[in-house]
Amino acid sequence: MELFSNLAMGFSVAGSLANLAFCLIGVLLGTLIGVLPGIGATATIAMLLPITFQLEPVSSLIMLAGIYYGAQYGGSTTAILINMPGESSSAVTAIDGYQMARKGRAGTALAVAALGSFFAGTVSTFLVAIFAPPLTAIALKFGAAEYFSLMVLGLVMSVALAHGSVLKALAMVVLGLLLGMVGTDIYTGTPRFTMGITQYADGLNFVALAVGVFGIAEILRNLEDETDREVMTKNINRLLPTRDELRQMIGPVLRGTGVGSVLGILPGGGAILASFASYTVEKKLSKNPREFGQGALAGVAGPESANNAGAQTSFIPLLTLGIPANPVMALMIGAMIIQGIVPGPNVVSEQPELFWGIIASMWIGNLMLVVLNLPLIGLWVKLLTVPYFVLFPIIMAMCSIGVYSVASNTFDLYAVAFFGLLGYLMSKLRCEPAPLLLGFVLGPLLEENLRRAMILSRGDASTFVTRPISALLLLMALGVLVLVFLPQIRKRRDEVFTESDA
Amino acid sequence: MSTKPKDSTDLAAGLLLIAAAAFFGWQTMGLPIGTSLRMGPGYFPMVLSIILFVLGVIITLKSFGREGEAFGRIAWRGILFILPAPIFFGLTVRGLGFVPALFFTTLIASQASIRMKPLHALVLAVAVTILSTLIFSYGLGLPFRRFGPWVQF
Amino acid sequence: MKKLLGALCAATMLTAPAFAQDYPERQITMVVPFAAGGPTDTVARLVAEKMSGDLGQQIVVENVGGAGGTLGAGQVAKADPDGYTVLLHHIGMATAATLYRNLAYDTPNAFEYVGLVTEVPMVIVARKDFEPTDFKGFIDYVKANGDSLTLANAGIGAASHLCGMLLMQALETPLVTVPYKGTGPAMTDLLGGQTDIMCDQTTNTTQQIKGGTIKAYAVTTPERLDLFPDLPTAEESGLAGFEVSIWHGIYTPKGTPAEVNERLSKSLQTALADEGVAKAMADLGTAPSSAEDAMPAALKAKLESEIARWKPVIEAAGVYAD
Repeated sequence: MELFSNLAMGFSVAGSLANLAFCLIGVLLGTLIGVLPGIGATATIAMLLPITFQLEPVSSLIMLAGIYYGAQYGGSTTAILINMPGESSSAVTAIDGYQMARKGRAGTALAVAALGSFFAGTVSTFLVAIFAPPLTAIALKFGAAEYFSLMVLGLVMSVALAHGSVLKALAMVVLGLLLGMVGTDIYTGTPRFTMGITQYADGLNFVALAVGVFGIAEILRNLEDETDREVMTKNINRLLPTRDELRQMIGPVLRGTGVGSVLGILPGGGAILASFASYTVEKKLSKNPREFGQGALAGVAGPESANNAGAQTSFIPLLTLGIPANPVMALMIGAMIIQGIVPGPNVVSEQPELFWGIIASMWIGNLMLVVLNLPLIGLWVKLLTVPYFVLFPIIMAMCSIGVYSVASNTFDLYAVAFFGLLGYLMSKLRCEPAPLLLGFVLGPLLEENLRRAMILSRGDASTFVTRPISALLLLMALGVLVLVFLPQIRKRRDEVFTESDA
Repeated sequence: MSTKPKDSTDLAAGLLLIAAAAFFGWQTMGLPIGTSLRMGPGYFPMVLSIILFVLGVIITLKSFGREGEAFGRIAWRGILFILPAPIFFGLTVRGLGFVPALFFTTLIASQASIRMKPLHALVLAVAVTILSTLIFSYGLGLPFRRFGPWVQF
Repeated sequence: MKKLLGALCAATMLTAPAFAQDYPERQITMVVPFAAGGPTDTVARLVAEKMSGDLGQQIVVENVGGAGGTLGAGQVAKADPDGYTVLLHHIGMATAATLYRNLAYDTPNAFEYVGLVTEVPMVIVARKDFEPTDFKGFIDYVKANGDSLTLANAGIGAASHLCGMLLMQALETPLVTVPYKGTGPAMTDLLGGQTDIMCDQTTNTTQQIKGGTIKAYAVTTPERLDLFPDLPTAEESGLAGFEVSIWHGIYTPKGTPAEVNERLSKSLQTALADEGVAKAMADLGTAPSSAEDAMPAALKAKLESEIARWKPVIEAAGVYAD
């Protein structure tokens, strides 16, 4: 079996003492910086990238990959503990994870996230190893029309993110889409909604938006009545999940892994849908969908697994095509180039040690994360016993540094304040931030691909249904739409009936 | 008329959405709409503004005829001190430099709580500043200027 | 504590008039107006490391991305002209002068010059099943099928956009241009056969050409490249004057003392003469600029001639980025 000899070679590279050490350092640094509020994987990598330049190519990439998962991992921890997501995937984790934390189940939420991520990471590492080349061929079949249809599917799903009014959730998605339009139009170079501020020419900073509408809004909410209410319950239950809870998470983790692995392969932004899609699936399959948004275990286990699986498989386009699937991957390409390895279709055959070494180190890195983080849970949970009035000024300081470090753009900090106010206003009006955030990340992709598809088809809109993959995705979107609205219609009918009965 | 029930949060949400739609719609006015082959920069935002407007109107209309929850307290003190903190950092990080800007940012943010005593706030700000400088500036080597041109003497 | 004191000392020293002969006596910031990890950032980090060695002071790279590089350039234009803030920018420095109609700085008068760093060649490529077999056939085919072919680029002001404009002008044939947000997605769609043609830097195309996933037709340099000896230049195949490369230069704010620029230039020449730098650049399909080009006068001449050259091209295309 060639695969096994390749994997064995990979493990021998990644398992060398030096590389194990670099993997550990990467994972540790990533977790530590990623866990600081307002600092997600992108900001962490941007900060830590120069550190890796002095190393051997394989070691530097192993360390970078470690930083990447570590940061993602740390980001989820912050999302669960203080409702402060550093990137779109942990925004989904924040919805139910933070509610669990408030109910004293922070330990459980963190453990579930850790175990789910590890399982997903293991499975998808093997997927990468076995299927990388054929999967790439499928990914290349995705043109503008397919991506547009995929984004439509994602948007339809997003409505399920809301636990309140569907109508308001839709409005938040649309508002998010509009906020995503801010910046220079890539087709004509026209600035849109920038109010003449050049600093917003490349759009609003995602971290600024996420930190504002989630984190800062939450701080303001907690400051409303601080004299007579504690933010966190003081009686924290057991740190590790019970056997029953472990059984509950099996389904969500398996499904999340599947969804995430598939979406992660698509280089045009599939991975960002992974956690959202998983959340939708779990909510639809759940026996008590009302639990979602109030601290549902499946709402943490599913998205976290999907997110980690997607993060792994998004290495496929990077390693087989030399094409970055997201900004973090783009940074990794830069790191490879600085090391004298120009990523491209030949990396697998020309640098097998590098290719398989990275794949093996992915699994090792994931293992290290679990081993490191399960004992750390106790520490994180203790953090919640720090009085809130001490905690939040620290959060504000870290947010300021984190947002600024992404692009040294002071206007991103002004955006944080603006979105903090907006998020607080939204929460007062009982509008939820998650659909807004999804709209914001999908907006540019949706428009870009719609317009590109129309250009490529010479203005023929039937391209969306004549291309088979695109047609299939649109059909799925229709299916989800029916699933989402059917219960509503049925419910209304029930209401009518009960009223007439009375 | 005032006896009629209405959900005031939904009413406010609806009206604000209409206002937002109007703002984006107005900003889109100047942008070329284009054709379906070559959609202009205004095409997509215009469609979205219209959808948002319609949703706003529906939410507004539906708010009448049912009782809503109370609006609750508003964290005025929080708004007054939390929101200016990142703005202050943005305005001063280049001029004052990383160290003083961060110190004052933490100090400002800490004032949002009525439980924070002045001396404690000072201690906290000093601690946060020293630790962050060690981690970010020395440890990670981020290219921040520790002391900017405004504090050179 | 020692370091903190050191920082304080350095801070106080700043107020003393900068004596060029003592330069540099503290850390230098090199602003790269693009994201970390991008091709320009790569070039910057390569030379910054070697220049640090020669200057005896650390050069830290700061990425100030945004608005096609104009934000970072604008920031350096406003910085203190003491030699402790320098800018590494590419051809976009010259094209932005026309592409952006309300720049915050006056390009030819806002900077001093250190020298050219490298000129990255470009290659005209197409999807791998594109019919023509050589560049002559390519020209005929494109002229015959102009408006049914798509030309991808990585966004307004990007290298591929500039080269594409020039290509359409040289062929006198408008193609259907398809902009992308960055080289990655543009290349993905070319690999997948969703678009037909692209012209991009060797940095992005070399590995794909060698891997046989895209087809290369011609290089845009005056002479053939060692990297692809079989590829003709556009000029030898009849496209007179079709020559474009993505040149990179180092600048300082206007008013920086001439001695400081000379010192930086000397250190740049040392860095470019380094074998490791040459090797790393060769891997990217480019080469370090010669010692004569790595001088202030050469960069000044280059910037001025390129501003003049691109102005009519951009104005004819009628595309602006503001």
